[in-house]
Amino acid sequence: MKLFKTNIKIASLAFVACLVLQLSGCKIDESINPNNPSLEGALTNATVDDLNNLVVGTEASMRNGLGTYLDDVGAVGREIYRFSGSEPRFTSDLLGAGNAVLDNNTFYTTTPWAARYRTIKNANILISSAGNTGLLTDAQRQAYLGFANTIKAYQLLLVLNLSNENGIRVEVDDPNNIGPVVAKDAALTAIATLLETGFNQLNGAGTVFPFQLSAGFSGFDDPSGFKMFNRALAARVAVYRGQFTEALTFLAGSFLNINGNFNTGVYHVFSGATGDQLNPIFLPLNATGEVRVAQPNFLSDALAAGNASDDRLNKIALRNAPATQSGLTGTHDLAIYQGNTDPITIIRNEELILIYAEAKIRSGASGFADALTAINRIRTAHGLAVYSGLLTEAALTNEMLLQRRYSLFMEGHRWVDMRRYNRLIELPIDRAGDDVWVSFPIPFSENVQ
Amino acid sequence: MKTKITLLTILALFCLLPFVSSAQVNVSGRVTDERNEPLPGVSVKVKGTSSGTVTAVDGQYSLPNVLSTSTIVFSYLGYVSFEARAATTLNVTLTEDFARLDEVVVTGLATNVKRSNLANAVSTVSAKELVGTTNPQTVDAALSGKVPGANITSNSGAPGGGFSVRLRGVTSVNGNTQPLYVVDGVFIDNSAISPGLNAVTAAAAGGNPSNQDNATNRIADLNPDDIENIEILKGASAAAIYGALASSGVVIITTKKGVAGKTKVNFRQDFGQASISRKIGIRTFTEQRVIDTYGASAVPLFNQANGTIYNYEDELYGNKGFLTTSNLSLSGGDEKTKFFVSGLYGDEEGIIKSTGYQKSSVRANIDHRISNAFNFSLTTNYINSETDRGLTNNDNAGVTYGIALSSTPSFINLYPDANGLYPNNPFAASNPLQTRDLATNNEKTNRFIGGLTLNAFLQQSSASVTKLVFRGGADYYNLKSTAIFPRLLQFQSGGNGTDGASIQGNTNNLNLNFSAFAVNTANAFNNTATFNTTLGTTLENFDQETILNVASVLTGSQTNVSQAAALKAFQTQIPRKNRGLFFQEEANFDDKLILTGGLRLDKSSDNADVSEYQLFPKASAAINVSNFGFWNISAISQFKIRAAYGESGNFPPFGSKFTDLVQSNIGGSGGVLITTQQGNDNIRQERQKEFETGLDVSILQGKVAFEGSYYQKSASNLIFANNVPTSSGFSTQIINGGTLRNRGVELSLNVRAFDRPGFQWLSQTTFWTNKSVVTQLDVPAFNLGGFGNTLGTFRIEEGKVATAIYGTDDGEVKVLGNAEPKFQMNFNNDFTVAKNLTFAFQLHWKYKYDNINLTELLTDLGGTSPDYDGDDDNDGVNNATERVNLLGVSARPFVQDATYLRIREVGLFYNLPGSLLKSTFNNAVSAIRVGFSGNNLYTFTKYKSYDPEVSNFGGSGFSTGVEVTPFPQSKRLFFHLSIEL
Repeated sequence: MKLFKTNIKIASLAFVACLVLQLSGCKIDESINPNNPSLEGALTNATVDDLNNLVVGTEASMRNGLGTYLDDVGAVGREIYRFSGSEPRFTSDLLGAGNAVLDNNTFYTTTPWAARYRTIKNANILISSAGNTGLLTDAQRQAYLGFANTIKAYQLLLVLNLSNENGIRVEVDDPNNIGPVVAKDAALTAIATLLETGFNQLNGAGTVFPFQLSAGFSGFDDPSGFKMFNRALAARVAVYRGQFTEALTFLAGSFLNINGNFNTGVYHVFSGATGDQLNPIFLPLNATGEVRVAQPNFLSDALAAGNASDDRLNKIALRNAPATQSGLTGTHDLAIYQGNTDPITIIRNEELILIYAEAKIRSGASGFADALTAINRIRTAHGLAVYSGLLTEAALTNEMLLQRRYSLFMEGHRWVDMRRYNRLIELPIDRAGDDVWVSFPIPFSENVQ
Repeated sequence: MKTKITLLTILALFCLLPFVSSAQVNVSGRVTDERNEPLPGVSVKVKGTSSGTVTAVDGQYSLPNVLSTSTIVFSYLGYVSFEARAATTLNVTLTEDFARLDEVVVTGLATNVKRSNLANAVSTVSAKELVGTTNPQTVDAALSGKVPGANITSNSGAPGGGFSVRLRGVTSVNGNTQPLYVVDGVFIDNSAISPGLNAVTAAAAGGNPSNQDNATNRIADLNPDDIENIEILKGASAAAIYGALASSGVVIITTKKGVAGKTKVNFRQDFGQASISRKIGIRTFTEQRVIDTYGASAVPLFNQANGTIYNYEDELYGNKGFLTTSNLSLSGGDEKTKFFVSGLYGDEEGIIKSTGYQKSSVRANIDHRISNAFNFSLTTNYINSETDRGLTNNDNAGVTYGIALSSTPSFINLYPDANGLYPNNPFAASNPLQTRDLATNNEKTNRFIGGLTLNAFLQQSSASVTKLVFRGGADYYNLKSTAIFPRLLQFQSGGNGTDGASIQGNTNNLNLNFSAFAVNTANAFNNTATFNTTLGTTLENFDQETILNVASVLTGSQTNVSQAAALKAFQTQIPRKNRGLFFQEEANFDDKLILTGGLRLDKSSDNADVSEYQLFPKASAAINVSNFGFWNISAISQFKIRAAYGESGNFPPFGSKFTDLVQSNIGGSGGVLITTQQGNDNIRQERQKEFETGLDVSILQGKVAFEGSYYQKSASNLIFANNVPTSSGFSTQIINGGTLRNRGVELSLNVRAFDRPGFQWLSQTTFWTNKSVVTQLDVPAFNLGGFGNTLGTFRIEEGKVATAIYGTDDGEVKVLGNAEPKFQMNFNNDFTVAKNLTFAFQLHWKYKYDNINLTELLTDLGGTSPDYDGDDDNDGVNNATERVNLLGVSARPFVQDATYLRIREVGLFYNLPGSLLKSTFNNAVSAIRVGFSGNNLYTFTKYKSYDPEVSNFGGSGFSTGVEVTPFPQSKRLFFHLSIEL
C-alpha cells in the first residue's frame, strides 16, 4: 500500500512537472503566413499603394497562360503547327488527329480558362478593396473600378473565344457560390454590359489615374486613353454580336485612325526582371524540339493569289530545314516576334480598321465605299494593289476575312473569325481524319457535365 | 539443457515465493551459448534496477551486493533473454532467438516491450538484414522488400537515391504519405528539396519549383552501417503515441551503441561497379524509315552517317560507375561509459558520366552512467554529402537527356568536334551529350544530427522503479543546390532558353524536438504482474527555409548569380510547431496477458485552430495462450493472439489556411495576384483509425515461426487539395472531405530449415497485400498525379479503388490499371557452410501492378523506339504507328503491367578461420571476412522500359509509377573486405 502511495506521489509530481513544461513551452501563437501577403489585408481599408499592387498584378497576370491560349487558337484555326518533343497533344488533340478529341481536363483546356478567371478574381478583389476603403477620392475609386471592369470584360471574352457554344461563367465573385454557366449570346451581352459599366466609371475618373500601367498601355494609361481602349474592345464585341451600327459608334470613341500607324494600340509587355514574364510565343528561328511553324497554306494561298509582294509574309521565315512531326511538315517558322521580350498585341489600330471595314460591309451597300477605303488602306500599306473584286457584301466579306487572316496572323483571330462566319469547313485538313473544332469543352473542374 | 531446467525450476519457484526482504549476495558466473562457447558482452542486470554489468571475453561476470531476492536478467542481442534468481554462482546458457521472441521493440516514446509480448506486427530490420548481404544505396533502398506491408519504390536510378516509402497503402492524398523518421529519438527531416530545375525544364507550368526535379530525399544522408536496427510502426495502432505525426507510419532507427569490454575495431572496404540494369535498345534505320519518320529532308543527314550507328543509349547510360565505401568503427567502453565511433567515406559514380554521389559521415555515440540514479546517452552524427544528379525526367523544353534522346536517331553525330564544340541536335531542342558534359546539377549537404537522452531514476526498489526521461534532439542541415546551364548549350543559345541559367538554392532546415517523460514500472501481485506507466509531454519545432535564385542571361561563362542580366528569387519558409501530451499504461500479467492503453493530445500551428487539442487514443491486447497452465503442446513454444486499435493524425500541408496574394510584376512595377489555392478557415488534421489483429506462432523451439496480421485502417477527414471550379479564380483548396480505407494481410514465415554445425539454412518468406478504397468523398471525383486523361491519371472517386489508374478509352474515361500490387512476396535465404562460408540471397516479387509508361510514347513520337518497325499483331501497321494512333483515343498503351521478380540481393562471404588468424596475426586480428555481392542483379519483367520501379514525380502523393524518361536503374556488384581487431 505504501508503495502505491509513493507511486501516486511520484506520478502526480511528474504530472505537475510535465504540465508546467507543457504550458510554458506549449503555447502556439496564431501564425501569419511568412511567405506572402494575405488577402484579408488587401480587403480592409486598402491604401492607394495596396490597390496599385492589385492593378499591377492584374495587368501582369493577363499574360499567364497566354502562350497556351494563342497556341490553341492558332493551331485549331490552322494558322500554325505547334511541335513539341515532349507534348504530343498539340498535334493530336488540337488537330483532332484520328479519333482524338479535345479533353476537358488537359492543359490546353484548363490552363487558359483558369488563368483568365484568376485575373478576373484579382480584378474582383480590386473592386471589393476599392469599395471597402475610405482612403480614396471618388474619382480615384471610379478609376480603379473602370480599369477593373474593362479588364474583366476582356478576360471573359478570351474565355468565351475558346469555350464558345459551351458558354462561360460570368458571376464568379464569391468562390463559394459561383454563378451558372451562361450561353454564348448571354455571355456576349454580359461582356458588353461590363464594358459599358467600365466606360461609365472611367467617365467619372477625372484626368489622371492614381495607378501606373506598364509601357504596354502607353498612350492609354489615363482615363481618356483607357476609355479609347475600352471602346475598341466594345467594337470588337459588337461585331462578334453582329451589332454593326453599335460597332461603328464604339469605333468613334476608340483610337481608330484609318491613316494612322497600324501598330498603335495596347500590348502585353515582357521582361526578364524578377517576377516578370517572357514572351511565351517567341521561339528562335530554326529551333528544333519546340517549334511553331506556319500552316503551309498561309504562304501557298498568298502565292496562288499572286500576292508574293505582301509584306505580311514576313511574319513567317523559311527554315534551314523543314520541321516534321506526326505526319505534319512546316517549312516556315512563325516569325512575328524577334526576341523573348517582344510585346504581344491586345488590340491595335489595324484590327480597328478591319472592324470598321466589316461594320461598313455589313451595314448595307451604302457602306461599301467606306469599307473599300479601309480595305485598300490595309492592302496598299502591305504592298498589294487596291481591291479589284466585286462590290458585293459576299465578295467584300471574303476580302475582309482574307485581310484579317494576314493582318492579324497569330494574334488570336483566324479561328474566331471563320467560326463567326460559319466557315470552319474552309479551314484546311492536313491529315485524313483530322477535325476542326468549334468549341473547347468546359473544364472538368467546373462540374458542369 | 539440464542446467536450464534447473534454472527454470528455480525461476518458477521464485515466482511463487512470497515477497520477503533479505540479505545481499555477490553473484558471479559464466555465460555460454548452446555450443558451450563463451559469450562476451552479455548484459547482466538486476531486474527492475539500472545496476548491472556485462560479461568479459571468456563469458565471466560478477555482480557484487545484490539482494538475494532479486532476479538477474541476462540479455544479449539475438539470444533469448534469461532470468534467474540471484545466487552466488549463476552459470547460464543462452539460446539463439531465431524467432526473435525476445527482441526488444520500442512501443512507447520511452518504453519498450519484448516481441513475444507485442500486440502489433512491428517489423524489425536488423543490421545484418540491412547491410549484411550487400552494400545498399541508401537506408530506404536497403529496406526494399524486407518490410511486409511496405511498398517501396525507387524513383530513379540517380546516385544518392530518391525513394518513396508507403506503409500499408496510401494513407493520405495530400502529398504526405511518407512515414516519420525517428533516429535515436530525433525527428529527422526527409524532404526532397527541388533544385529549381523547372526554370529550365518547364516540367511544371508557371516556373514554380516542381516535384519533377528528381531530388534526393534526405534520409539518404544516413550511413546504413551505423544502424543497429530499424523498427517500422506501420499504422496508427502501433504509432498512435506519435500522434498527429504518425499517420503514414513511423520508422524508428536505432544506431549502434558501444559494448563494454575490449575495444573493437572494425574496418570494412567495399569496391564495386554500377551498370545499367536494363537497356531499351535503339531503332535500326533504313533510308525509307528515315523518310517515313523525319521526311525526305533528313535523308542527307542519314547518308552523311555512312552507316555509322551512334548508340546514344550506350553513350549516355553505359558508364560503368566505380563504387567505393570505406567504413571504420570503434566500439567499446567500460561499465560506466560506452562508446561507438564510426567514420564513413563513400564515393559512387553513376551510370551517366558526370553523375555521382559522395558522402562522408562521422558518428560518435556515448552512453554514460553517472550513478545508479542518473545516466545519459548522446548520439551525434555529422554528414557531408554531395551529389551530381544529371538532368532527367519530364520537361517541356526538350532539354533533359531522355527527352532529347527520345527524338534523336542513331545516324546523327552529336559528338564534339576537334575544338570541343558540340553540334546542335537537329532532331531535338538539345544535344544530350553537350548537356551532360557542360551542365551541372549538384547538391551539397552539411548535416548534423544530435540527440541527448537523460534518465533520472527517482526511485528504485524491487517492486517499483520510477524514472524521468528527458530527451532533446536536433537535426540541422544546409542544402546548397547548384544548377548551371551555360549559354553555350544548344537550348540556351541563339535565342533559345534564357541565354544561360544559374539556379542556386539554399535550404536551411532545423528540426528541434524535446520531450519529458515520467515512467513508472511497478510489480504487483507477487511479481506476477508489471505495470508500466508513462506520462509525458512533447514539443516539436520544424523550420525550413529555401531561397532559390534563378539567374539568367549570364555574362559570358560566369555562373555567379550576380553576373547575370536577369535574376529571380524565390523564398519559401515553412515554420511548424507541434505540441503534444501523452499518457500510456502497459500492464503485463505474467507474460500471459499484456494490455496497453494510451492517449495522446496534439495541437499544431498548421491547424486552423492552433490551440485546439486533438485526442488520439490507442489500446491493445496480446494473449500468450502458450504461457497459460493448460497449454500442453510442447512443440509450440509460442501461440499468441493479438489485437490493437489506435488513432493518429496527419497535419494539413503548411499554409492550407492562408489565402495569399503572390507576386506578379510587369514593367518594373511590383504587383500582387491572388494565389491559386483558396485558404480554408476550418482545416484540421486528418484522422487515421487502425485496427489490427494477428496470430504469432513459434514451433519447435523457434525453428519455425509464423506471424500473420490483418489490418483495416481508415483515414477520415481526409486532407486533399480539392479542385475547385477554376472560374472562382482558384484552382485548389485544401479541405477535409473523405475517407480512405486500407485493408491488408501480412504473413511471414521464418524457417530454420537446417541447423547442423556444418550447414545452416535460414529462410524467411513474407507475403503481403493491401487494397485502398475511397469509401466516402464529399466532393465530385477528381484527378491527381499523372498528365491527364489522355495519358493516364489517378482519380479519387467514391467507392473506387484509390490507386486505380484512369484514362480515356473507347470515348470514355475508365479504369485501365492499378498502381498498387495485387501482392508482394519476399524470399530471403541464408546459408552457412562449415561455419565460415555464408551465402545469402533475396528475391522480391511485386505482382500485378501498373505504371504509366510515357517514355515509350515519346520514343514512338520521336521515331526511336527499338520495336518501332515491328508488327506484333501482323496487321500491316507497325507498332509505333499503331500506338501513336491511339493517342487521344485511348490511354491503354501507356498503362503497362509492371509486375516483376527481382534478384535484389546476393552475397557470398567467407570468414577466414580463427586458427589461421591466430597463427598469422598472433591474436591481433579477430576476424577477416571477404566476399562478393550484388544488388538488383536481375529483374524478370515484361515492363517495356528501363525498370518497373520508377517515379517522375518523386515520392510525393499518389503519383509514383509515372515514367517519363527517368534516370535508368543500375545493378551494383561489390567486392567486400572487412577486418575486425
